[in-house]
Formats: sequence, C-alpha cells, structure tokens
Amino acid sequence: MKTLTRRDFLKMAAVSGTGLAAMGLVGCSSSGSNSQSGSDESNVDTLVSEYGFQWEDTSAPILNDAGAEAISFNIYSSKNAAALDYNDMKIMQELFESTNVTVNWENVSETVNSEQKNLIFSNSSDRPDAIYHAGMTQGELIKYAQRGVIVAISDYLEYMPNFSQILEERPDIYNQIVNEEDGKIYALPRIEEMGLLQNPNILFINKNWVQQVIDAGAVEGITSTDLVDGLTLTCDQMEDILIYFRDHDMNGNGDATDERPLSFVYNNWQGNQCDLYGMFGLNDNLEHRVVIDDEVVYTTMDDRFMEATNYLANWVSEGLIDKVSFEQSQDNFLANGKGLETYGAFYWWESATVVDNPDNYIVCCPLIGPDGEQTVCVSNNPEVSTGELVFFSDCENVEVLLSYFDRYYDPYISAQINYGAVGVVYEEELDENGKLVQKELPDGVTSDELRLQNAPLGIIYLSDYAWENVVNMEERAQLRQERLAAYVTPYVDEGVQPCPNLPFTMDELNTLSNYETDLEDYVKTNLISWLMNGGVTESAWETFQTELTSKCHLDEIQEVYQSGYDRYLSET
Amino acid sequence: MQAVKRKSAGKAVSTDSAEHPASEKGKEIKRHIPYYVMLLPAIVVVFLFNYLPIYGVLIAFQDFMPGDKILSSTANWIGLQNFTRFFNSVNFWPLMRNTFLLCIYGFIIGFPLPIIIALSLNALKNRRAGKVIQTIFIAPHFISLVVLVGMLQFFFGYYGLVNNVAVSLGADRISYMLLNGAFRPMYILSSNWQDFGWSAVIYIAALSNVDPVQHEAAIIDGASRFQRVIHVDIPAILPMISVMLIMSIGGLMGVGYEKALLMQNDGNLAVSEIISTYVYKQGLTGVPDQGYATAIGLFNSIINVILLVIANTASKKFSENSLW
Repeated sequence: MKTLTRRDFLKMAAVSGTGLAAMGLVGCSSSGSNSQSGSDESNVDTLVSEYGFQWEDTSAPILNDAGAEAISFNIYSSKNAAALDYNDMKIMQELFESTNVTVNWENVSETVNSEQKNLIFSNSSDRPDAIYHAGMTQGELIKYAQRGVIVAISDYLEYMPNFSQILEERPDIYNQIVNEEDGKIYALPRIEEMGLLQNPNILFINKNWVQQVIDAGAVEGITSTDLVDGLTLTCDQMEDILIYFRDHDMNGNGDATDERPLSFVYNNWQGNQCDLYGMFGLNDNLEHRVVIDDEVVYTTMDDRFMEATNYLANWVSEGLIDKVSFEQSQDNFLANGKGLETYGAFYWWESATVVDNPDNYIVCCPLIGPDGEQTVCVSNNPEVSTGELVFFSDCENVEVLLSYFDRYYDPYISAQINYGAVGVVYEEELDENGKLVQKELPDGVTSDELRLQNAPLGIIYLSDYAWENVVNMEERAQLRQERLAAYVTPYVDEGVQPCPNLPFTMDELNTLSNYETDLEDYVKTNLISWLMNGGVTESAWETFQTELTSKCHLDEIQEVYQSGYDRYLSET
Repeated sequence: MQAVKRKSAGKAVSTDSAEHPASEKGKEIKRHIPYYVMLLPAIVVVFLFNYLPIYGVLIAFQDFMPGDKILSSTANWIGLQNFTRFFNSVNFWPLMRNTFLLCIYGFIIGFPLPIIIALSLNALKNRRAGKVIQTIFIAPHFISLVVLVGMLQFFFGYYGLVNNVAVSLGADRISYMLLNGAFRPMYILSSNWQDFGWSAVIYIAALSNVDPVQHEAAIIDGASRFQRVIHVDIPAILPMISVMLIMSIGGLMGVGYEKALLMQNDGNLAVSEIISTYVYKQGLTGVPDQGYATAIGLFNSIINVILLVIANTASKKFSENSLW
C-alpha cells in the first residue's frame, strides 16, 4: 500500500548508516614472508662481483655503473612544505654521483605523515624500502621489531664504517638507540649536538624601560651601568620593576594599560615558565622530571614547588605576569612582540625573532629567589632523535642502502643535509681552516627559507668535531650558544642532568603508556588552576601529593624511569 | 507523501502493512520492483563501506600494530584487556561525564533551534526576505573549524573583543579560553551558531510540502497566524521531528575530536577532555595503541546503539513514529 516516502528513505539511511559507526581500521594485507636478519653472504658476494659493491672506502662510489643501472631503492619521506622534491635537491643528486646508488624519493607533506606511515606499515605487499623522517617511537620500534617488519641495523654494522665509529666513540648514543628487548638497533638516529636545547629559556628585559624605572627611583640596588647583558636581579627588584612596568606608560603611546610586564608561552617547549621555578632552586621542566645525582626526581613532589607556585600565582594575580601567557600560542606571542613595544620582559630562545628592536633588550641572568636560590630550567628535549630512519625487512640489497645512508654521517655530508648543498648554500672552496663557508644570500631570500628549500634535514651527525673542523654554526646559533655559556649554564648544578632517551623494556613502556597521560593531565589541570587562581593551600597540596601516588601511579612511573636510567648508566 | 499527510491530518489512520496476507505482499514487491532496483546501489555502497569494515573492531581485542593481519594465527589476542584498562583508568568517569554533558547540553539547545527557525521562516509573509535570511543563516556552516576556533580566540581571548569591551565598561579582563566554565558554552553556542541554519533546511523542505488547502481551511475557520503554526505546521513536520530526534539521540555520544582538541588547553583540560580526544591521544600520539583506541571507540558506539534503541522504543510507545 505504501509507496516509498522520504521518511522511509530517511529511516533506511539512518538505520544502515549511523547504526554502528565503530572505529574500525581495516588492515588489508596479503602475506609477505619476512626475510631473515643477518647478512646474506651469497647475496653480498654477488653484489661485490657483479656491481662492484664496496663499503670500506667512504669516499669512493659504493656501486659501479652497472650497479647504478640495476639497483634502485624507493624511499618514502615526509618533507617540509617549503622544501624542493628530494629528487631535485642538489645534495641528493651529488650523493648519487659520488655513490652510484639510485634512490627514488617519494615525498608527502608533513601534515599527512603520521597517517601515511601507518598505512605503509599496513600495506605489507607493497612497502617502500625505507621510511625517512619516520619519527618512530621506542614502543613502535619494539613492536615492529618483534614482528620482524623492520631490519635490525646492528646486524649490518660492518657495511657502515661511519656509523660504527660513532657508536664506538659514543656509548651514550648507543645506549639511547638500542632496543632493550633484544639488544639490537632498529633505526638510524639524527644527532645534532649544539648544546642549545638543554636550557631552552633566556630572560630578556627592556633596558630603556628599566632605565626609566631607575630614573624614577622605583627600584633599589641597580644603576644604569648595570644595564648590559648579564644583569642580575633579585626577585624583589624584579617585582618592583614589573610593578612599575605595569603601572606606567613605558612605551609612551599615551596608554598606560598596554604594557605587558612579563610574558612567556606557558608549557611551550621553549620560552616557558620553568625558569621562574629556578628562583626556588628547582630545575623544573615541562615533564617536571629531571635527573639529580643519577636519581630521577619529580619536581612536583618537592615542597619548594608549592612555594614557587604560590609566589608566581601572586605575580599572576598582581598582573605582573601577563595572563595571556597562559593561553597564547607561540605565533600569537611572536606577533604581539612586533610593532609597538609592549613587552617589558620575556622568556624566549632569542630576542631577534620576538621583537623588532632586539638591541633594546638585554639578557638577564637567572633571577635570585627569596632564599637566594638561582638556577634555571633543565629540559628533556633530546639532541638525539632515535627513530629517524627505518628499513623494511623485505628491502632487497639492504647492505647497499645502509652503506649509502652511512655516508650521511660524514660531517661534510651531514652539514649539507642539514643546511643545504655546496654550490647552493655553501661556497665550493673551503676556508683556511678547512671549513665550509656560507655563500652570500640571493636577493629577497632569508637564510631560513634557503635552508628549508635546499636541505632535507634528517640523518646527520653534527657534534663537537664537526663544529670545530667542518662547518660553522649559523650566526644566530652561535649567539645563543655564547649567551647560554655566559648567563645560563653556569647556574645549573653539576649533578643536574636532563633525562635522555632511555632504553625501556616493553613492560616498562606499557606502564608508561598506561599511566603517563593521566599523570600529565592531572598535574597540568592542577598547576594552571593554582597559578591562575592565586595559589595552592596547604591542604590542597597535601591532597595533590597523595593523589599523585594513589591515583596517578607516580611512584611506578618514577621507578620505570629510574631503572631505565640505571641501565643507561651501567651500559655507558 | 500520502502517508505523511494522512498522519498529519489527524493521526488516525494506521498504515500497518503487516496486516496484509503474504500473497498480497508478494504482489506489492513485484509492483514496486523499479524502486527496489533503484535502492540496490545504495544498499551495496552501505554494505561495502559501513558493514564490511566492522570486522576491524576485532582489533579492540588484540595487541595490534599496523601491518598485523587481524584474522590470522599470529594475531595477539588479549581478550578484554583493552576494555578493563579503560574502565580502570583514572580518566574513565571524568571522560564519560565530560562527553555526556557536552553532548546533552548541545542537544538541548541545538535540537529545537532549527525547528523554531524553520517555522518562523515559513511563517514569514515576505518570501524573498525569507530566502535572504535563510542564506545568511546557512553561511556560517561553511566556515572551517580551525577558522571558527581562531574566531573564538579573537572574541574571547585575554586581549579579545569581549574583554576589550568589558574593560572599557570598567570590568576586569577574564581569560575565557582558560576558564573551565566557559568551555562548554563557547563550544556549544558556536557549534549551534554554525549549524542551526543548515539543520533547518530539512524542516523547511518538509514545511514546503504542507498542503495550502489546510492553511486556507484554517484561515476560514478563523485561525490566527500563530494558531496555524501550532495546529497545521507542527503536526505536518512532527514525523520528521521524531525521526531526527531518534537519530540525534543515537548520535549523542558521537561528538568529534577536532573542535574540542583545537579549543583544548591546560586551563580547560578538566572539562574539554572527552572520549574522542582521549582516543586520539592514545591511538595516534606517544606509544600508539590502536587496539586500545578501538576498544574505547567500540565502547562509545555501543552506548550510542543502546541510546538509539531506547529512543526508538520510547518513540514507538508514545507516538507512532519510529525508525523500525
């Protein structure tokens, strides 16, 4: 009787469509047997006899011309939006000429990389030979290694002279990248050691404004001659200065309310609030986890953390710390620094990117706290990225590919991988010290743009040796290094270390993935509400202390890090 | 259209085809073969893309990594471990509460709004003005979420428009983006502002099918404009309303992660962490655990199915309108 009405159609669509919208990831996959780990002797013999495969001389080609014809590799990589296709990059073309190893790069944009990575792993019948910029976590490496999906690189170290030498010289690096479950290495690391990451903040203050404060007699104990880099302020002096900043029209635009006394970007990886906790002797960081005298410690378990939080909460409610610091993104922070001068003091990596006139801002030493404590944030930003490049087990002739990537660890190649090729970014001629020399920039291009366009980044080893003998740091990096050495690192105690990449077992990783997000959320939620709402009471602090352990399993997490760290030490 | 009209007229005639004997039913089907053929592609598509992938939920019971074969001897079956881990998590109850409250408030405000808009637009004498207004109402639907959240920051940020106005009126600045209490209102009202015009389209379409004869009859009987809305328009779209109601209740807990994640910061984490953002964090960041994320997603879907069934049964009991 009934004809199909719109309503019936809706019904049908609704029942079939929205009934069960379960999140299901379908892994379509066909079988593919895992090739055995360990080098296949006969295969290498063929490579040597037919294609002239050699790996010992790191300046000669790896394959002969026949090899360049016959053997090629497909490598998947994400790339920065500004970068050229890797196949068109000069450094890649030069690497082909010097090695005769043909690599076809397949580039995708960084934004889709994480999904693409999972899809590649799902598609076991048609995988590339390797993933560059893989960003593998330790848990992923262990799980894929158990499944035999990725190549154990440590079985092939003989084909990688540069890399094996690094491992020999630097057991600490070896300990950061080794898979604790079976003692092998499954991914090639990126190592860029400039010493810039460990203390990610520098305090800058507007010297013209401070001069006004001194002229007005609103602060005691400093004179205009002190207004140079390395100014040391006590928290009381800082407070007086910030109050003056808050109440007066410092930038002279007729509006006394647009001055922002102290700014930062809350819980950003750099330019964050953690240095302020140094006034109370805490080497805080975003994870609140730091190593002191080989003990993994959580600053949140220290009563000084409560004192510091209360002290800072007072600065927040007094308006000395700009409240927007807690909600703004890095981009907002940088944008607000331009144009009219509104920042009195701020924490950041460097001053040049923040304000238009960096000359007006001087570097301060860490603030001295009420009890005379003076130290800074020690962050856990690692200088070694552990999961940068992985190889799939079904990659044929993986020995050749490994020898090829071993060249990336040569300091001259590393520099070009990291900053751009000779002829584009660097002069063909080295300077008298044998170092690479930067070319003059083409018109209308900044050094950052040129670098992003021409450098693939990724697998490199740039360490002390390279900085001393091969390549100069960029000017900005040098400046930062000098500032850190003079005004920041001397204030970190000898025994205080960041927590490096630690070799965990799968069980330990499971504990972390079970509890760590919950712990972080718990601390974050509480900390910001204390800072924004005038501080924490004794009783709230005590509840917090009990719940850290009872609810968030902090003791178990700490134990995991401690055993990881002990292992890291014992193997060094 | 007949069925709808008959119901709207008086809700008196039942159209239950089950009363007919089987032979007549077979004839019915034969007579309507073209319709069934037309339906076929839709069924195939729905089966392929909505039902077939459901076997993927099996990874909720596995320790799964991409590349594992779901149905093979090597799969790591771990039973209900993923589920117990979620139920025992400190975050379980806060997550449920946050998700539920966000959705229920959004539903309470967002469900009647498009109906009211549709009725008002329909009652407008000036048709042209109605069209213009409708277009203006629909426009926000096309703003991307990222832009919308950016707008929220411009309006409600510490140095945003609302605070600037408040300060000029002598009040203090408040950082709404960091305020626990402001998250839900901002989220819900901005969502509704974006979508009410769009959701009204379906009701406007239904209203355009109301027989003008009924309105004329009502006018002759002396019904006012408002009485006609109450007694002609609303009964006409009532079946549509109940279907939409059942469907929205069925999708109640299925709120997406994108917007909540974009608006999330340390300050509002306590209310902005909902099931889908948690799934996103657990499944895609840190140590990726797709089995765990799927288990949570599956749990969420089961709640949705239960809600759907309850809504449908209730609707069946209290009115004649139901999905099945």
